Amino acid sequence: MDEPTATFSLLGLTFTWTTVLSTLLAMSVVVLVAVFLTRKVAIRPSRGQNVIEYVLDFVKGILGDQLPNNLARQFGLYSFTLFLFLLISNEMGLLLQVKTASGVTWIKSPTADPLIAFSLAIMSLTLAHATGIKTLGLGGYLKNMFLKPYAALFPLNVVEQITNFLTLALRLFGNIFAGELMLNLLASMASSLHGFGWIPALPLEMAWQGFSLLIGGIQAYVFVMLTAVFTAQLSGEE
Amino acid sequence: MAQTFIMTKAMPLGDMVFIIVAFLLLMVILKKVAYGPLTKVLDQRADKINKDLDDASKKSADANTLVEQRQKELSESKTQASQMIATAKKSAKEQSDALIQAANTQVAGMRQSAEDDAVQMKEEAMTTAKKDVADLSVNIASKLIQKELSADDQRALIDAYLAELGQQ
Repeated sequence: MDEPTATFSLLGLTFTWTTVLSTLLAMSVVVLVAVFLTRKVAIRPSRGQNVIEYVLDFVKGILGDQLPNNLARQFGLYSFTLFLFLLISNEMGLLLQVKTASGVTWIKSPTADPLIAFSLAIMSLTLAHATGIKTLGLGGYLKNMFLKPYAALFPLNVVEQITNFLTLALRLFGNIFAGELMLNLLASMASSLHGFGWIPALPLEMAWQGFSLLIGGIQAYVFVMLTAVFTAQLSGEE
Repeated sequence: MAQTFIMTKAMPLGDMVFIIVAFLLLMVILKKVAYGPLTKVLDQRADKINKDLDDASKKSADANTLVEQRQKELSESKTQASQMIATAKKSAKEQSDALIQAANTQVAGMRQSAEDDAVQMKEEAMTTAKKDVADLSVNIASKLIQKELSADDQRALIDAYLAELGQQ
């Protein structure tokens, strides 16, 4: 990630344009899709409502498999938002990447940025840990986190908490970043070979885009599921 | 708003704050736009389905009760009907027996009185005939005693007598 980036400062904090624009774009798309699909919400669902109800049911299914009912209900909105945002973010870069001649990428999949993936992971794990403290009390939470199933496993448990965080973030970032990197490589191949590069590049690009589409969906699902799994573990629900 | 375009490596903190704040904002918007209404409608639908199922089972129970009741009533009325038919048959038989009995009695009575009449008439006839024969014998005897008669006279007498008989 030695690419040049465009940044701006506000209130003493530095923001990256790529992050801000890509995130805002992905979120706008999420809002537009949500508004479009829920124009007429009724007990007898219309076609659009069916789609978003299916998504909601899917997310509720993920939560229901891992969490007890009350927690699943509390995490409904968070997981629903997370899933929609990740889904749109992961697929966005397949359609749209804006790069200027100076080499600055303005818009890409937000989740192809490690910082965004880490931010989302921090947010998910903060929620999971907070739920653990709320459910078990501080003492019970610490005991459950570090001393289960045996006190002797304390060092391993510490390592596990760190790796949980790293894998949650890196799995998302790695998959999406690698997907886009590959697409970019294939795209650059199209202009090589004396102008005939597009002949092998086109089918490969199409195949890889299809594959990335699938990966993007799976990673959105996995991230939401792991959030639920960690929440369940940290609240002593296993 | 201090905007500067600098080519530098990303400083994490600002972006992180931005992402998390934006995400929370997205959550608020989605709750208002999609999650809230959808959850409400899903709950309403679940309520409605529960209510409909309850209604349906109640209605089916009601229907079963009604069917049982009707069945009972039907079998009752069948029994009643067959009872009524039996009673009617019995009373009809009794009535017809009584009628036949009465007719028989009447016929027997009639025959008896007819026989009685016949006997009486016969007796009367016999009495009359006896009396007539006796009278006739007396007449003939007296006539025979009154006269020695020639054959012509006898014949005239017999004719006269026969004529006399014929006039009677």
